[in-house]
Amino acid sequence: MSDSNLATNLKTSRDKYDAAVAKTLAKFPEQQKTFVSASGSPVERLYLPESDPRAAYTEQLGFPGQFPFTRGVQPTMYRGRFWTMRQYAGFATAEESNQRYKYLLGQGTTGLSVAFDLPTQIGYDSDDPESLGEVGKVGVAIDSLADMETLFDGIPLDKVSTSMTINSTAAILLAMYIVVGEKQGVTPEKLNGTIQNDILKEYIARGTYRFPPKPSLRLIADIFEYCTKEVPNWNTISISGYHIREAGSTAAQEIGFTLADAICYVETALKAGLKVDEFAPRLAFFFAAHSDLFEEVAKFRAARRLYARIMRERFNASDKSCMLRFHTQTGGVTLTAQQPDNNVVRVTIQALAAVLGGTQSLHTNSKDEALALPTEESVTVALRTQQIVAYESGVTNTIDPLAGSFFVEQLTDRLESEAKQYIEKIDAMGGMVAAIERGFVQKQIEESAYRFGQSIDSGERVIVGVNKFTSKKEPDIDLFEVPEATQKRQVDKLKSVKANRDANKVRAALSAVTEAARGDGNLMPPILDAVRAYCTVGEICRALEGVFGQYTESFN
Amino acid sequence: MPYHGDIPNLIAQTASRGPASVRAAARLMSIVTDHPERVATMLAGATRWPQPRLVLGITGAPGSGKSTLTDQMAASFRARHPDRLLGILAVDPSSPFTGGAVLGDRVRMMRHATDPKVFIRSLASRGHLGGLALGARGVVRIMGLLGCDVVIIETVGVGQSEVEIAQNADLTVVVLAPGQGDSVQMLKAGLMEAGDVFVVNKADRPDAATLQANLLNMLKMGWMARVDLYHEELTCHGPQMLVAGQSADGGKALSSIPDLPLDAAAPPPVFLTSATNAQGIEPLVDHVESRAARDADAWRARRDTQITREVRDAVLESARKRIAHLIGRNGTSQATLAPVLEGRISVDELTDQLIRRALSDIDTTHRIQPT
Amino acid sequence: MLDPTPKARVLIGKPGLDGHDRGAKYVAQVLRDAGFEVIYTGIRRSPEQIVEAAIQEDVAGIGLSLLSGAHNVLFKRVIDLLKERGASDIVVFGGGTIPPKDIPTLTAMGVKAVFTPGTPAKRIVETLDTLLAQPA
Repeated sequence: MSDSNLATNLKTSRDKYDAAVAKTLAKFPEQQKTFVSASGSPVERLYLPESDPRAAYTEQLGFPGQFPFTRGVQPTMYRGRFWTMRQYAGFATAEESNQRYKYLLGQGTTGLSVAFDLPTQIGYDSDDPESLGEVGKVGVAIDSLADMETLFDGIPLDKVSTSMTINSTAAILLAMYIVVGEKQGVTPEKLNGTIQNDILKEYIARGTYRFPPKPSLRLIADIFEYCTKEVPNWNTISISGYHIREAGSTAAQEIGFTLADAICYVETALKAGLKVDEFAPRLAFFFAAHSDLFEEVAKFRAARRLYARIMRERFNASDKSCMLRFHTQTGGVTLTAQQPDNNVVRVTIQALAAVLGGTQSLHTNSKDEALALPTEESVTVALRTQQIVAYESGVTNTIDPLAGSFFVEQLTDRLESEAKQYIEKIDAMGGMVAAIERGFVQKQIEESAYRFGQSIDSGERVIVGVNKFTSKKEPDIDLFEVPEATQKRQVDKLKSVKANRDANKVRAALSAVTEAARGDGNLMPPILDAVRAYCTVGEICRALEGVFGQYTESFN
Repeated sequence: MPYHGDIPNLIAQTASRGPASVRAAARLMSIVTDHPERVATMLAGATRWPQPRLVLGITGAPGSGKSTLTDQMAASFRARHPDRLLGILAVDPSSPFTGGAVLGDRVRMMRHATDPKVFIRSLASRGHLGGLALGARGVVRIMGLLGCDVVIIETVGVGQSEVEIAQNADLTVVVLAPGQGDSVQMLKAGLMEAGDVFVVNKADRPDAATLQANLLNMLKMGWMARVDLYHEELTCHGPQMLVAGQSADGGKALSSIPDLPLDAAAPPPVFLTSATNAQGIEPLVDHVESRAARDADAWRARRDTQITREVRDAVLESARKRIAHLIGRNGTSQATLAPVLEGRISVDELTDQLIRRALSDIDTTHRIQPT
Repeated sequence: MLDPTPKARVLIGKPGLDGHDRGAKYVAQVLRDAGFEVIYTGIRRSPEQIVEAAIQEDVAGIGLSLLSGAHNVLFKRVIDLLKERGASDIVVFGGGTIPPKDIPTLTAMGVKAVFTPGTPAKRIVETLDTLLAQPA
């Protein structure tokens, strides 16, 4: 049958169906007048083929491991190997976190993911007045190399891959990791892992910035250059939509803003004199998985296709540089403090979305995280959730199983086009840094968050246990607590490190950092020297700040 | 919030500049902004209050980088006069529907928040008819009483009332930025007349030079038109003088001609800044300081005339509030107004009735606010 | 339109170092919609900055949002500073990732209301209407 015959046929059947629907609606109206996705986009009653899917197959979908990578970045996907099961963890001091990592490795995680406390992420030492109350709270406190040595004590760095959520101070923490490797006898080219190193989304959504955009981007370019030569297996950045989504964006904004960030990083590296195919294969991404299963799966597919096209069309990159590899975390904001057991179910759906969307690694949240850091028990359940999806659900047996669904393909197309429109808007403003300084991106996210909040507060959107099916009973749940004495213990440790190091070496190393910051050479070597001399994160940041200055938030 | 603080006591505490002065000043500010009708009471004796040396207005479109520029200029004033107090009054629009507001100007100015020499006050425009300008002038006077040497008034240059506030300043800076399609429209909408000094912020953007050129051109044309108008005025009012700035009285006589700025010898200057990088700030502040040194006497005289207008506005506001109270709020006003709609009485008759009720209703005289 | 007189001035601030401002911004907007004037301070503010701002702005209440778990230390510091400045009449409330078992501790130190994730906006507004009611 020809295409036009097919279309006529379909039209006739569709008319019949619509008539039947009208009759049904008269007697049994649907539950809502309009149906919308988690991002607030309208969802139709039924999706039909818009054209013969075979026509545009190679161009739109292609094959796994091949441009435009819509169906996945590896030729065999999970048939070859599951995703990396990586649980983000870290709290209190290096000793406690080291114990937690060993426990997680024993339970079958296949990669480490280090959570640092906020002072470490922003570059304040544990004894800094700015650190009041925050030491060891949302992650582990690292002041100097001594803490990093303890953190990885007994964990051979050539056997694990380590992901570190660190941004404005990424160069320093990476330097510490390299030096710990040296001390274990592991050379830098054998190190595997990722630093988040995505400063733009800190200005947009997460807030752990320290320096203004320009010097921050220079630090990132320096890391790219250094790692290309010295730490070739390191993922030098994890360009993150996760926090943008957490701050309240829609799915389309999540990928649009993240890829606009990516464009800025690629341009920065090119300006610094690197060649696209030298560094682009080491760029990694990080997205959220929320509960709207199909929208999320489509989002991951759209992100892969759009990125591939951008890299080829704008930067003339090779296919290897066009692959969007990503880590996923289930949506922290979707967890509820009420009826925390329900969160296990939410996380299951979200984990499924990530896997059906072809993620390379996954963190599943624990049920108690709307209330506190997770306990060991709740982390175990979260990990088991991934293992059940991997080993029992069967969804891993074939690649991209939702491809060809009329709904999923049309969603994928729509998300790609919406995201593209955001990128075009940002281009017109003069790029991501200008868009951030104007507050455009922040404002867009804030507006989406407001709409989402209002839809819950009005009852239009149901959150089980929160605005429907509520229960009077207070959750009876054991919560994790960071030991009271953490800050004091950490400060004591810092004091003893400072007392036992060579003060002359420290002074010289810090002035070398300042000197390098004033010039335009690569900052990694002087930072490595400072780390070796046991200079603290706070000291190195202050040296950089003296030259770079501080960033202040914008608000419209 | 106890608004019924004893006003003379709060004034004495503010003037003492002791440890309680900040809180007392903040309280007084709430009184003038929430109950502008009480300004008149407060202003008794205010002619003898110390006044700021310079009241600087900063206005511009949202996204022009006003707050950052304000923050940078504040830092510059602080560095120039380390021992003197600086006041910042930031005005943002209220929601016309709910009366609420989110005031976010402090976000960019937090580094000054723990500087004991900086006092920042955020003010919502509240949609008051004239009340905002009155409250803002009161806040500036209280800042003077507290000892502020310079007061910066930052407003969003979108509505008429915001522009008016900026014009209450001795000197008004209008901020524009490239890449805002609406910049030129804003100028057409009246901001051009409001500005004594213009700033093209975000000067590191490629299209800043074009904006500057267009702006200079427009300002020059506007200036020439005003000079022509001025000459016409001269022929009507007699040949007193030809060009402001050459006159013995510092141009005061000129200010009696509506909308002609004190300094009409040349079009307003245009400065290029990049506030986020702290570039171009010093020449701008140099210029403002030199104007302050030159025109201090004229400004002081103008402020003295203004205080009479403030009392007048306070009286009108007080009358308006009392009548508004008698009419009632949205929910209850219908009953009061119905006789007019039904044609039973005229608007004038209803007004007479309300005024009589206001006079006889002792209660309302002291009733501050209908709730 | 008759006078839309605002209800009260409230400061919404984020003490400590965490940058998750979604909740703080949402509450600020909800309060605006309910007729409050909200002074928003932005993220990463010290207790000193927050208290000084609250005094200069003459607010009736301070809302603190914190997701990092540093609430016991930082909320207390804000309350202590208010006492030092003779401004204990300013009502302090808070929200964020706060375990239920910490709520009595916070209440005991003088925090008048704690809103955990999922609290309906309506309840926040009603609570503040009561807590910040102005004398007639």
